[in-house]
Amino acid sequence: MSRITIDADKVDEAVIIMTRMFDAPIEKVWECFTRPEHVRIWFGGAGFSNPVCEMDVRPGGIWKHVMRTPDGTDYPLEYVYLEVKKPTRLVWQPTNHGKSKDGPPTNRTEVTLEDHGVQTKWTMKATFASMEGRELAKRMGYTHTLSQGCEKFNELVKTL
Amino acid sequence: MPADRLSSTLFALADPTRRGILARLATGDATVKELAEPYDMSLAAVSKHLKVLEAAKLISRGREAQWRPCHLEAEPLQAVSEWLEEYRRFWDRSLDSLASYLKTMPDPPKAKRRRSKR
Repeated sequence: MSRITIDADKVDEAVIIMTRMFDAPIEKVWECFTRPEHVRIWFGGAGFSNPVCEMDVRPGGIWKHVMRTPDGTDYPLEYVYLEVKKPTRLVWQPTNHGKSKDGPPTNRTEVTLEDHGVQTKWTMKATFASMEGRELAKRMGYTHTLSQGCEKFNELVKTL
Repeated sequence: MPADRLSSTLFALADPTRRGILARLATGDATVKELAEPYDMSLAAVSKHLKVLEAAKLISRGREAQWRPCHLEAEPLQAVSEWLEEYRRFWDRSLDSLASYLKTMPDPPKAKRRRSKR
């Protein structure tokens, strides 16, 4: 079972983190995340199927996917890869930037794999940066400066 | 929960000061002054945080915000908590399947430096 935590170091966007250890070498785990013939077998878990899974695994490449729930509902998902660094790093985000009503509303997902010999450590960071959140973060500057009681910053806050 | 509502709630929760404010409000309503007390920051700065929390509908304030206390609204927190749980369950399920699959999956071809022809 994995734990889900909020990354306490980030203040201008919400990042949730999950980790897990797999009993398999890193190359195998990488294959499972980047080849449709493997992904369609496990994605969604027991009872789910994946009638469509096409992956063009390179920066700018598209991952087109349809996940089918046990009751037969289809969820179309489409992602674009932002970073691909075999076998340790894979970053993707929805092509519609999380505006879709279907499927989980994540923004950017980063998967990193760590070589632990016969095992692999999998870490996933899912970032949620809402448009209004980003705007606010820009106008406020970095939130941690608020607690420094900076004169200049207080002046800025008064003008907002 | 609509995608952007969830994002703005998570953004609101991302900041430790705002989490602290919510924790305080969980024990009862409080004025801006009371909320600012534990922090080394101006009332204006705390007000900025409260605006974020208000935008995410995590707190409500009276019309005369200076006099009426801030109040914690549980519903968005509940919704986010449920969504996080759903998200975790999705990945747990998927990764459980992956773990089983890895046991039976044939080894990938030996990594010889070899460019695939396109």
